[in-house]
Amino acid sequence: MSDVINTERAKKQALGPYGRVGKSLDELDDRLGVARAGRTFMDKIFPDHWSFMLGEIALYSFLILLVTGVFLTLYFIPSSAIVTYHGSYAPLDGQKMTQAFASTVNLSFAVRGGLLMRQMHHWACDIFVGAIVIHMARVFFTGAFRKPRELNWIVGSTLLILAIVNGFLGYSLPDDLVSGTGIRIAYSIILSVPLVGTYLAFWIFGGNFPGTIIIPRFFILHCLIVPLVIIGLVSAHLFLLVRQKHTQFPGNGRTEKNVVGSPMYPVFIAKTTGFLFIVGGITALLGAFAQVNPIWQFGPYDAARISYAVQPDWYMGFLDGALRIWPSWSFHGWGHTIPFEVLIPAVVLPGLIFNFVFVWPMIERKFTKDNEIHNLLDRPSNVPMRTAVGVTMLSFLGMLFIASSTDVLAKFFNVSLDTVLVAMRYLTVIVPILAFPITYRICHEIQTLHGGGRRKTPNVVARSAEGEYTATPSPRYVDDVPSHLEAAPVPTYIHEESEESGESGVRVVDR
Amino acid sequence: MTSPLIKRCLAVSIISLVGLGPVVLFVGGAQASYKVTPYQTSRKNAGTPNSTMVKKNSDGVIIAYGNSSITYRAPSAALVTLGDALFQQNCASCHGTQANGVPANGTAGAFPDLVGLGPATINFWVDSGRMPAANPRSIEASRRVPRLTPHQALAVSAWVNSLSPSYPDIPYPHLKNANVADGAALFALNCASCHTIEGDGDALAMSTFSPSLRKIPSIEVAEAIRTGPANMPRFTGNLSDAQVNDIVKYVTTEIQHPNNPGGFGLGGLGPVAEGFVGLAFGVGVLALAGFWVGERDD
Repeated sequence: MSDVINTERAKKQALGPYGRVGKSLDELDDRLGVARAGRTFMDKIFPDHWSFMLGEIALYSFLILLVTGVFLTLYFIPSSAIVTYHGSYAPLDGQKMTQAFASTVNLSFAVRGGLLMRQMHHWACDIFVGAIVIHMARVFFTGAFRKPRELNWIVGSTLLILAIVNGFLGYSLPDDLVSGTGIRIAYSIILSVPLVGTYLAFWIFGGNFPGTIIIPRFFILHCLIVPLVIIGLVSAHLFLLVRQKHTQFPGNGRTEKNVVGSPMYPVFIAKTTGFLFIVGGITALLGAFAQVNPIWQFGPYDAARISYAVQPDWYMGFLDGALRIWPSWSFHGWGHTIPFEVLIPAVVLPGLIFNFVFVWPMIERKFTKDNEIHNLLDRPSNVPMRTAVGVTMLSFLGMLFIASSTDVLAKFFNVSLDTVLVAMRYLTVIVPILAFPITYRICHEIQTLHGGGRRKTPNVVARSAEGEYTATPSPRYVDDVPSHLEAAPVPTYIHEESEESGESGVRVVDR
Repeated sequence: MTSPLIKRCLAVSIISLVGLGPVVLFVGGAQASYKVTPYQTSRKNAGTPNSTMVKKNSDGVIIAYGNSSITYRAPSAALVTLGDALFQQNCASCHGTQANGVPANGTAGAFPDLVGLGPATINFWVDSGRMPAANPRSIEASRRVPRLTPHQALAVSAWVNSLSPSYPDIPYPHLKNANVADGAALFALNCASCHTIEGDGDALAMSTFSPSLRKIPSIEVAEAIRTGPANMPRFTGNLSDAQVNDIVKYVTTEIQHPNNPGGFGLGGLGPVAEGFVGLAFGVGVLALAGFWVGERDD
């Protein structure tokens, strides 16, 4: 017996202190030298503020998009060939439609779990773009885009544009009545470009609208090209994040020279994996219980058909809103027409907005003449000018977004559609103009608040023997007392235990 | 550096841009004050008894006509007396005692002339509760709980029709003979551009609305198609009785009781509601989850 035990022990000892896994990792390291990179990754410090989780919503909903998207490609047929539908949805029986539409209806009705996957894909997309926007707002308002992170701001903004574009492409693929109308609008927008518009539109659509080539082309763009670019840029985004290390809010012991937070392993990996499951769970709940885009009711697209009350997905709403409220200006002359009512709101306006977003870090540096490296974040109220500009931009986009539902507002509040339209024209100009000084003023008010943003300490009220009451503030919380944190040296060997700072799971390292 | 003159010019042009921009922008809005006439002109003879089966009474008056898709029936002549009394009580204050649109103390043209409109028109307006109108001066009378019963509505149309007999008579669709898939295609082609593809209705220009089709009985759907109430175009020559029957079947089955999997329909508001749910529930709950997972001291 003892011989057997000894043999087992001897085998275990031969494997080293980390067993088979450690042994195989050792073999891998001998060849590829991955231990160093692994060490850097496992020791990556994540500041624990909750607003840092917003970007992860985007990352994880993108993962869900990839997984559900692969499922959908197994059943979707990207073809404009006309077929006669004979499936389980009776009202469409015998109707002529494109194969793209027929396969999407079949995917929804005849494939087990198909509708769930399709709805999860759509909801994940709505969440993806939404999470990018609020993540971006966090980065903007706290000044996280400042030197040295301007490049990552530009990468992130490009990701937003790509997400919107890919969302539109995917929305168009089923070729239902509503999405076909969307493609028709996109075609008209391309046509509105002066001089080259017609050539551009014919080049993209392979001839006149709708043609038969656009669905396969959109499919390749939506499933291959744009996702590849997104994956590349997301990798660059995360690489820069690790390379430049996180920003952090100023606070106890946090300086420009250190990063305070949880290491990737073992603390943050637990949090973030849990968060991945939460994102997946919420998306699955929405996909299971909230209907999105019931294409079988819309029916197949046909250039002669149109439905009233059609809006695009929410992230295209600002474009639709701008198109709706823009006055009907156009130029006719020398045998040419330039439709300014389409060109300005749908081409010039988004171009201006996104260019403004791209160059904002440079604009700000120009104005503040601040060329320092910033690792500590701003409280938004301490930078009233930037905060006011951000709120102005968001309120402008918000008004355009609301303008994309003029008919819904008119119906809901039982007022005239024309009244709503004219009102939205005024509000889109007035609300941003008002938002700027109001935000600026509020920021100044918050700055003058004593102890704003800090935890309040209770007052201790005592009654003396004579009956006199005295109130003395109790001492500040231990966490709130400024202190200097000693940075823990990054361990050079995998199994070495590191010095923990006072709080459990929190570590301080030098940059 | 630029000279002060150029600076001044720049300042003036920027100020005038900011000041005049909105004014220019809203010139389009100012055009919105068109003359609004609340009523459509009268429409005579929407459908005629030119079909295969025509039934006449002993005096040779046509009382029913139609085919296997829709039977048009004139309201019974026995109801005329009752209809007269009901009309004088409920309708005459605006439309006049002779239903010619001239009230006792008013002038011609103030209210619609009902003579010669045909029983289907009168029956639709009364049976859907639009008439008697809640507000006679409103641009559009909206659907309400009807004040008169279906029998009384028939009586009113019988009396108005007796003044100058005309068509279309009241259509009774035979839904068993209808094809719902054809109805869906025809609905998308003819109806969805105002009523929306899901039949929820929406706001149209100039304070008019396209009503929701969710609770309309089949006879009223057929009447509306054949007579074109208010803003709605009158579909006569371009839709055969069989096609009207198909549309009525689609509206009363798939629009009103849709086979609609996929969870809660979010009020049929389309992408507006979807965006709201996606942002408020999806992103909102996930941000709260992040708030729960992360630290929130600072």
